[in-house]
Amino acid sequence: MVALLVAAYVHLARRSGGVPAGKVGAFAAGVACLWVALDWPVGALAAGYLASVHMVQFLLVALVAPPLLLLAVPDAAWERLAKRRALVRALEPATRPLVAAIVFNALVWLTHWPRLVDGLMGYQAGSFAIDMLWILAGLVFWWPVVARVPERQRFGYPLKIAYLIFATVANTGVFIYLTFTHLPVYATYELAPPIPWISAREDQQVAGLLMKMGGGVVLWTAIGALFVRWFQAEEG
Amino acid sequence: MHRTCRVPLAAVALAAVALACSDGASRSAGPDPGGAPATELRGTVLDPPWEKPDVTLTDTDGRPFAFRTETEGFVTLLFFGYTHCPDVCPIHMANIAAVLGDLPYAVRERIRVVFVTTDPERDTPERMREWLDRFDRSFVGLRGSEPQVDAFQAALRLPSAVRQPSRPGPLPGAYAVGHAAQVLAFSADGRARVVYPFGTRQEDWAHDLPRLVEAHPWPVEPGPETAAR
Repeated sequence: MVALLVAAYVHLARRSGGVPAGKVGAFAAGVACLWVALDWPVGALAAGYLASVHMVQFLLVALVAPPLLLLAVPDAAWERLAKRRALVRALEPATRPLVAAIVFNALVWLTHWPRLVDGLMGYQAGSFAIDMLWILAGLVFWWPVVARVPERQRFGYPLKIAYLIFATVANTGVFIYLTFTHLPVYATYELAPPIPWISAREDQQVAGLLMKMGGGVVLWTAIGALFVRWFQAEEG
Repeated sequence: MHRTCRVPLAAVALAAVALACSDGASRSAGPDPGGAPATELRGTVLDPPWEKPDVTLTDTDGRPFAFRTETEGFVTLLFFGYTHCPDVCPIHMANIAAVLGDLPYAVRERIRVVFVTTDPERDTPERMREWLDRFDRSFVGLRGSEPQVDAFQAALRLPSAVRQPSRPGPLPGAYAVGHAAQVLAFSADGRARVVYPFGTRQEDWAHDLPRLVEAHPWPVEPGPETAAR
């Protein structure tokens, strides 16, 4: 997957006649996030040992990597995309902020639903399907904030900030479910070889807290960055 | 492009629906396990129930432990395993211990958990005690000779444990022991009533243990009236 991403990005960069170092850095960071999240040891621990590591994987794959990859897209590539009217028309409804927020949160709920997690995590293909859903969810969620196509004049900095603040609240349901459900909800982790320093219940509580706090750190960092850019735009 | 996107999404949606429609928890539908309606229990009910074997082994304090008499009147969970077990044994013990910790004292004090080692060579009394104490200090650990433990298991229709040949690796001499993975639950009247296979979850224990206890109140000491009869 990493090789495919790199190959695609090299192709995109060549077609765009070069890419600024900042965008290359964002791409490298995005790919590094995916690599760390999906490879050993995080990938192995998340697949069958610890729900908390599974949550770290979710944060990296769905919340951190997608905006970095979107930020890495060269300007020329956005311009080429904007010229493809049919594609832009198709993207327009799917990337509306309200739709994106609903799709993202629905996928977050779905991919943390115990029966789905237990049903899919036992198989490599199932685990891969969850990873793909997270990447898809992340791209959909971050698209209105980061992507320049389709252009949304009215969705400026204040609304982007409001959109992200709403997202910090929207994950509360999963956080509450994982943190305050007394018995372990995932058979995958409850019936995994135990790790001496953490019980299945504690692991699940840590997972819930990570979702809330880790997700909060990512979202509030983005909110801060948007606020700075908004301030700079107003000043400049 | 659109079509190729829809196919995996549809597959995931179908998988989700299929999983939602399936029932993950095992349900038993057998006879009355000594008072608790069998259909309410999540373990596999034994029909007919088995007698509790009269076996004496040695506990972690080095004292003889007569299984039948020492556990008389208690709901007893019996498990054969070994402390170097990487998965089944610690998972069973951890899940039972976690649920026992949640039960009201009045229920909990009527349950005994007995662990019999299938690896007496490495499971010294001290090691067993230390290992069991990680889960619950009330758990009873028993050792016996191989023929004794084999006979105990045979009486409960369990296969004898098998020592797996050691493989080359970082720990020379390390070996695994193949053993029965189920927990047997005896009701307070001294009969094995329910079997809990590996995969039994905390929610299953939390569901069944109070029912097993409630099905059999403390054995009543014979008073003057009953004695007279």
